[in-house]
Amino acid sequence: MNLLEMRGIVKSFPGVQALKSVDFDVRRGEVHALVGENGAGKSTLMKILSGVYQADAGEIIFKGQPVVFRTPRQAQDAGIVTIYQELNQVPYLSVTENIFLGSEWTRNGLLDWPAMHQEARRLLAKLHLDIDPRAPLYTLGVGQQQMVEVAKALHQKADLIIMDEPTSALSVREIEDLFAIIAELKAEGVAIIYISHHLEETFAISDRTTVLRDGRKVATRPSSELTVEQLIRLMVGRDLAEQFPKEIAPRGKEMLRVEGLRRDGKLHDISFSVHAGEILGIAGLVGAGRTELVRAIFGADPIDGGRIFVEGKEVRIRNPRDAVRHGIALLTEDRKTQGLVLLMSVRDNITLASLDRLTRGLFTSAAKEQELSNGFIQSLAIKTPNQQQLVMNLSGGNQQKIVLAKWLATHPKVLIFDEPTRGIDVGAKVEIYRLMNELARRGVAILMVSSELPEVLGMSDRIMVIHEGRVAGFLNRDEANQERIMELATGMAASEIEQSKLFEASIHE
Amino acid sequence: MSETTIPAPRERNEAMEALRRALAATGPLLVLLLLILILWILSPPFRSPTSLMLLALEAAAIGVVAAGQTFVILTGGIDLSVEAMVSFAGVTAAILIAGTNIAGGQIAFGIADWQAVLIAITAGLAIGMFQGLIITGMNMNPLIVTLGFRSMLLGVSLVWTRGAGINIQKGPFLNFVTSTVDLFGLRVPMPFIIVLGIYFLLWIVLKHTKFGRYTYAIGGNETATRLSGINVDRVKVFIYGISGLLAAIGGILVMARLQSGAYQNGTNMTLISVAAVVIGGTALSGGVGGIWGTLIGVFIIRVVEAGLVYMSVPSNAKEIVIGAIIVLAVALDVIRRGDVKWLRFRRART
Repeated sequence: MNLLEMRGIVKSFPGVQALKSVDFDVRRGEVHALVGENGAGKSTLMKILSGVYQADAGEIIFKGQPVVFRTPRQAQDAGIVTIYQELNQVPYLSVTENIFLGSEWTRNGLLDWPAMHQEARRLLAKLHLDIDPRAPLYTLGVGQQQMVEVAKALHQKADLIIMDEPTSALSVREIEDLFAIIAELKAEGVAIIYISHHLEETFAISDRTTVLRDGRKVATRPSSELTVEQLIRLMVGRDLAEQFPKEIAPRGKEMLRVEGLRRDGKLHDISFSVHAGEILGIAGLVGAGRTELVRAIFGADPIDGGRIFVEGKEVRIRNPRDAVRHGIALLTEDRKTQGLVLLMSVRDNITLASLDRLTRGLFTSAAKEQELSNGFIQSLAIKTPNQQQLVMNLSGGNQQKIVLAKWLATHPKVLIFDEPTRGIDVGAKVEIYRLMNELARRGVAILMVSSELPEVLGMSDRIMVIHEGRVAGFLNRDEANQERIMELATGMAASEIEQSKLFEASIHE
Repeated sequence: MSETTIPAPRERNEAMEALRRALAATGPLLVLLLLILILWILSPPFRSPTSLMLLALEAAAIGVVAAGQTFVILTGGIDLSVEAMVSFAGVTAAILIAGTNIAGGQIAFGIADWQAVLIAITAGLAIGMFQGLIITGMNMNPLIVTLGFRSMLLGVSLVWTRGAGINIQKGPFLNFVTSTVDLFGLRVPMPFIIVLGIYFLLWIVLKHTKFGRYTYAIGGNETATRLSGINVDRVKVFIYGISGLLAAIGGILVMARLQSGAYQNGTNMTLISVAAVVIGGTALSGGVGGIWGTLIGVFIIRVVEAGLVYMSVPSNAKEIVIGAIIVLAVALDVIRRGDVKWLRFRRART
């Protein structure tokens, strides 16, 4: 009998149907990988399972009983524990306190510390962790913090543990430890739903794999019967060429040049240039300084040194207003918190950055605003009932197009995309890529920060790789591949060069 | 994309949304009319034109103050200094007109009342902008900054008056300000006409100028607004300036009516202004709302107050009711946002 069965799960949000009748099941003692592109519905499905969201339709049967979880607490009490991507812990509390948060043991109405510490020690030992349970959590490494989450799941006697991108912050060594523990948990009959973008991991650890695409289940197969190529085809549903409709635009004059840009502790001596019609991809690991770099260029963060040239002329950029005036635009990585005013209408968002030109005397001109936003709604194919619709009611793809429209209205010379397709469904991604092509053809210089290597490889003319706040190297479109980017991004290449230099030096002596 | 849009539930959402919006827009007005109707039925003295005019007069000063508060709250801030500004502006103008402080010491020869008023409201604007400068420049919490200024302004008013009122003789300008105008046989108080004029002007600013749009945008998402290349700090400095200016004008209206500048002139006006803004449909978190709702909010509070008088509730008990209205208004704001779990019946959004 299956430990968990989810049948016909439907969930919609305003403007988007996130899940369209999904079936999903998990057996006891099984590691079940859940894969799919961003926006495929993985997180939504798991949030329904863990009580964060409620399904619009469908049923969940857990341990043979139909269940409805209205809160995460109810799911936890039933034995379903989620280990979230962004750790869900209190850094200034001790390991024990974090493990027991919400389920503290008491004696005579007071907290029973000796017993709790002892239990914490037992759980940590089980995970082969040599940590003092009294230590504040923030003193531990990220990998150990993650293990504390696992300990917490064990403490809650979880029958089913959901791991959402558990390895995103872990070193290779820590990943091995985690896998060993997953194997032990499995042997004890605990089931694990494992969500990851890293397909090698899901192959290494999982018994079965379920693929979601556009809110539907595409397949559930034993992992051993799948190949990476098959899996990617199932996830994407089309070839790479269709997925990234790259067109090479003629390369024009230099639009942006950055020389020796510094921000103490974050960015060190960064120099590069972008030409009209060119898409320069910026790759690097999380925390390498990619977002910091584009924010510094845009004037959103202060810089400690360096020069910026637009069309060959040096410009001073002290704040975003200066950047906009010089023709630079930034589509931030998080459009909801940094790109849009969700409570305002489509029209008001599109015109927000260019109201200066949409006035008649002292007053804003409704006619000019309407004309401008109508133009973009048509040319970018923004799906909205009307201009007055609140932006919060639109889907991620349409929201992203509205941010793009806002910037296009300022006639930018340099357009910076930070994670341009995050949280957007596959069809809308392709539309965004086509718009990038179109802009490049019209002579805009494009900078594109992205964590998704296929996207960087698929759309860039040139790729700049950042490692620990420095430029680790440039790769041309025809010489770039995942391995070379990763070499530069992890600093392996640099250290090799370093060593070969030392070697040469020793020879000369 | 097209396959992910689902027409049926969405249309229902939109119909609900439209209904909700219509209710939000007309709700306060309906409440006001209902309250007036109840009072009309229960209390014969209320039925006279005089009492209606008195209501309008009562609403004037707090109406101006609440208008400024609306701007501040729309940006997601709050101005707790307004009641002190009402007192301070009244005291300042009164001292300048009377040419004396309470000790009877001649500090200057009295100046014309319009000059005194101009100086007082300019001071209000300047002090408001100064608060805005501190809030934006030092990135300080508006709650604390304006609370501090409340204390300072009240303190200054107290020192200058030694705790008593400065009585004045009205000059031609203040006589005009406190006069009445005959409209269709009703004697409409001039302060109320001034208030309507100010509200109309502010409505134009909010609806049809960049400044107004940025006010909403900052309240809706300050980061996104800043990253759109807008000088958010400058807008906010002017927002607090407008609040200071309008509170000072409110202070002049109170002072002219009482013919006295005293440090108690503004008592309770901060809380009432915030309550009026929220009752009028502006979200305490900013970004949503409007100016006319605030005027209705002011009237709702004033009608309730008047009702207490007409129903012979002892005036000492008034505070209890006002306090309850304020708490209810904030509860309304939270409910409107859908943040109350046990009140959230099957909402579409999560």
